[in-house]
Amino acid sequence: MSSHREAPEISMDPVADSTDLYAFVSPDRPNTVTLIANYIPLQAPAGGPNFYQFGDDVRYAIHIDNDGDGKADITYSFTFHSRLRDPETFLYNTGPITALNSPNWNTRQFYSVHRSADGGGAGTELGKNLACPPCNIGPLSTPNYDKLAADAVHDLGYGIRVFAGQRAEGFYVDLGAIFDLGDLRPFENLHNQYGMNVFSGPAPGVNATNQLNVHSIAIQVPIRELVQKGASGEADPKSVIGVWTTASRQAASVFDAETGKTVSSGPFRQVSRLGNPLINEVIIALGDKDRWNALPPVDDKQFAHYYAHPGLAAALPSLYPGVFPNLAALVKSGKARADLEAILLTGIPSGIIPGFQNGTGPVLSDMLRLNTAIPPSGNPNILGLLGGDLAGFPNGRRVFDDIVTVELRAVAGLTFALVDPSFTPDSAASAVTDGLTNTSVKAPYLNTFPYLGVPYSGFDNPS
Amino acid sequence: MSSQAHSDHSPDRSAEGTHRPEPSRRSVLYGAAGLAGAGLAATAIAGTLAAPAAAAQVSAAPRAHPGRAAGAPSPAEPVIVHIRDLRSGEMDVFAGEATARLHDPGLAARLVHAVR
Repeated sequence: MSSHREAPEISMDPVADSTDLYAFVSPDRPNTVTLIANYIPLQAPAGGPNFYQFGDDVRYAIHIDNDGDGKADITYSFTFHSRLRDPETFLYNTGPITALNSPNWNTRQFYSVHRSADGGGAGTELGKNLACPPCNIGPLSTPNYDKLAADAVHDLGYGIRVFAGQRAEGFYVDLGAIFDLGDLRPFENLHNQYGMNVFSGPAPGVNATNQLNVHSIAIQVPIRELVQKGASGEADPKSVIGVWTTASRQAASVFDAETGKTVSSGPFRQVSRLGNPLINEVIIALGDKDRWNALPPVDDKQFAHYYAHPGLAAALPSLYPGVFPNLAALVKSGKARADLEAILLTGIPSGIIPGFQNGTGPVLSDMLRLNTAIPPSGNPNILGLLGGDLAGFPNGRRVFDDIVTVELRAVAGLTFALVDPSFTPDSAASAVTDGLTNTSVKAPYLNTFPYLGVPYSGFDNPS
Repeated sequence: MSSQAHSDHSPDRSAEGTHRPEPSRRSVLYGAAGLAGAGLAATAIAGTLAAPAAAAQVSAAPRAHPGRAAGAPSPAEPVIVHIRDLRSGEMDVFAGEATARLHDPGLAARLVHAVR
């Protein structure tokens, strides 16, 4: 998964588990950037009576580096608090919820947004007591869910909008096959199958995250608020920002058996991090995943060897015998994957792809890099840069981008020719996929903020 | 980690955390009772830690963090002590949004003695 349950520690703490991060120039407000950080993975829509909500004891943040040093220049932090109207009932709601202030809604959640600069200070409060929408329960409890969710989009002034609450999972991936020893269903007859001959032919992909929900923190900010002063045009490095999200908890916690509550104290410590998709999932090794989650991007040099020599690149030729001979030779050569280091750790400098750059300089730091001067595409390609669409991943990430296929193909060697013209990618490198596209997601994406689809209701899903 | 929903009988009340339970010293020591040697203990603020901690060697200053002033705990918040090494008395004290590392073998011994 992009970053769902990707590390041992965070897999046991779902409310602090970042799942996906998106950053893109807003297609309907192209003078703004939309940043979306998803948390709480794999929500079964019917998961009541205590439906999903953000952690009141978690500090969520979206960070922006606009000078290439791998450190936050701007941080938007989000803190939540729940209010229980009636502790005498077991119900989430005691009647239809028709408005965000409905007296029938028992367990509500609110949040505050702060903006701080250079990672320090209390920052400026942009909004407080902002209402989250309820979870999408069903036709009796949440009869007009679209309106409830729309009412939870808050305008904070200065061109800034925020939303925090449940949305439909927009990320699509064939988890069931991929985590079954690297099976890609469209090519599974070519898998070595460990000699068991289970698959006789190709099969379509299965979207394991379909009809599941997540919780999104979305903020739309004018571009001028995020980039360095004087940023001008697509070729200007000042137009590029690096983005990542974190969740932090207080360092010490004790379970108070007399109240049945956990009490916490001490400074907030980072427990979850996400920049580029799938990195801690499939690039970082198991023994380093928890530490990676606790560190900032500026410390990523120590993990560079995982990007330079990804285990997946070494595994593909053996999992699919004879399919990736040139990749096998590349792995055997011991050459560092400078293509992956550039895409994921430094950004792509000018001169590699005509008319494009999202480089941030030499500091190795895993950030989702977005050239904010590149306008939204009128005809988006879900393969982003690989599909000739400069407005898509890895130039930021849009909600519908097929990052699984893009990263599979990159790891399989398709992008290595960009840095080593003598290398010829295997023909399979431009075809490999898990067999899914954005049409594999049942809930349609939205054309407006917050762009992810209306969450699936518990009444109708699974269906 | 649990999210804490605070009881609010007033539909329009906006005050935060008005019903947060205050842990008693006894309850937090119960929380630490299952931990042996290097472990976690906690006490209400202004509890027995104050005097020994003041005399102990402090190697880290409290740090302020966004969203709260100066890292100072409110009266309702717990102070939690993590004894990292009983023999040397190395311990981390967590209060509000601040932490400090102390070295006080005597205090460490008294805390452990209290829960054994």
